[in-house]
Amino acid sequence: MVSLTRGGDRTIEEKEALLGYALIAPALLLIATVILYPVLYNVYLSFTVVPLRPDEAPQWIGLEHYYNLFGSSAFWSALRTTIVFTFFSTTLATLGGLGTALLFNRSFRGRRYIRGMVLLPYVAPLISVAFVWRFMLDPLYGIFPYVGSDVLGLYAGNIDILSNGDTAVWSVIFIDAWRYFPFAFLMLIARVQAIPGDMYEAAKIDGASKLAQFKDITLPELKYILATVFLLRWIWNFNKFADIWLLTRRVETLPIYAYQVAFANYQHGQAAAISMVLFLALIVFVLAYVAWALDW
Amino acid sequence: MSTKQSTYRHVVDSFKTALGLGKNTLETSLAERVVFYVALGLTLLITLFPFYYMALASLLPESSLYSLPPTLLPQDLTLEHYRTVFSPETFPFLTYFKNSFVIATTTAGASVLVATFGAYSFARLDYRGRGVISRGVLMVYMFSGILLVVPMFQVIVWLGFVDSLASLFVTYLVQTLPVSLYMLGNYFRSIPEEIEEAAIMDGYSRLEVIFKITLPLSAPAIVAVFFFTFMIAWNEYLFASIFLQSQSVFTLPIGIEALSSSFRQVWGQIMAASLLTSVPLIVMFTYLEKFMVEGLTFGAVEG
Repeated sequence: MVSLTRGGDRTIEEKEALLGYALIAPALLLIATVILYPVLYNVYLSFTVVPLRPDEAPQWIGLEHYYNLFGSSAFWSALRTTIVFTFFSTTLATLGGLGTALLFNRSFRGRRYIRGMVLLPYVAPLISVAFVWRFMLDPLYGIFPYVGSDVLGLYAGNIDILSNGDTAVWSVIFIDAWRYFPFAFLMLIARVQAIPGDMYEAAKIDGASKLAQFKDITLPELKYILATVFLLRWIWNFNKFADIWLLTRRVETLPIYAYQVAFANYQHGQAAAISMVLFLALIVFVLAYVAWALDW
Repeated sequence: MSTKQSTYRHVVDSFKTALGLGKNTLETSLAERVVFYVALGLTLLITLFPFYYMALASLLPESSLYSLPPTLLPQDLTLEHYRTVFSPETFPFLTYFKNSFVIATTTAGASVLVATFGAYSFARLDYRGRGVISRGVLMVYMFSGILLVVPMFQVIVWLGFVDSLASLFVTYLVQTLPVSLYMLGNYFRSIPEEIEEAAIMDGYSRLEVIFKITLPLSAPAIVAVFFFTFMIAWNEYLFASIFLQSQSVFTLPIGIEALSSSFRQVWGQIMAASLLTSVPLIVMFTYLEKFMVEGLTFGAVEG
């Protein structure tokens, strides 16, 4: 802005700019007060002991929470679980979405309605989805343990799949992929349909096999959207709380660890430090990923 | 059409269909069609089975709910669980439902309103700092709920907002804003700028352009954003679980979770409540499916 003299003297550009600021201001104000301020306040809290009574001021202790964190095996185990959960659920959801998008890349009767049905896991409320899976995996009356143990004989006895340390994380990974593969599918299907058919025809005439066509045409055409879908799902899965928490208390990722430290142990400062580490780990991953994905 | 041409067409078409890559289902070999329909059937089975099972379990009498082998094709059905869910003395489901509905509607309405102007601003108007603002909005995607929950709890306690739906309104509004801004911004950019320029030539002001041209043209995107923000608020568990303490303000996720943890073997009621919780989203989605799918391609919605 060059001059802000009397209202009548403003150029059209200045008026547009002023209107631009005026229209974005409410959104920015809200985001600044309800997101940016708490994020900065979180940084401060992570260096303090937060008293239970809200009228007492937090007490500064420097890096102590971080020292405690890096020295605790619970933290490293939660970090490992977070990475395992995020990597596998993201990969599985992306691959599931890719497979479904390729499957839907032809016309068939009722395609629109069937596409709508495929989106259902993503659209249905989390609470409903979490509880029906809990019921289906219930050790006494659930249909999955019945089929797995009594019908197929895959394992013996009543293992509580969601409460067993070895199986819980894999169930949660699978259920998360089930819920979010439609997101990958929706993001990919439009791009899949935009690949020109001539490219495949030319490849066919050159004698390329189906696999070669997938590798040399489909994948390169989809790589940026695949990379984007993977990144977005990674960000959201890395921070995932409710989906896991509502299914089982036996999968302790960093968000769940932070929640328990904050609201079961009332150590808000320590929890603030955990969420800071979570955020920094995510930033490092995203920067590395973007750098890698750009020249991939 | 000459013989040569039609032979050529035939060859190309059979290449297309043999690969399953063309958009043509005619002339596909039987084996390929079998493989395709089996794959489609499996996809639908994996996708829909939990929903079938939810509906089924909500209608089964206790005796078949808690017996082995599990029932897949029901002999007799009952509305008993729905009756329990709707009787306020056993389970205040209607209160939870009303709370969730109020909070999701107001959040989605306010988010759409604030985001429409904001998104127009950085999609169309030119000013210094615009790029930083629109990139900053995307950055907020990475600030998860868990990063905000401790400081927000402190702030809400300090403001005396604990145990009120107002605390959720503020939180959800801001959490949905980046998504709304991003989706609407992308949509506005897809509207040809010439239309707006022509209107300005005709003497419309910017605000008139927004209300008389951009908004009517953006109805599908606005509907989609409303739905997605409604969905985010309808689903939210983390903040609701720490801000809310008394039953009278519980939203559905907290209420159903409380029911499940305070009673054992109430699967029938929980499945009935889960199904009823799904109804608003599924009804909205069914009516608005076309807009939803378009809306999603304009922006990624957190989930």
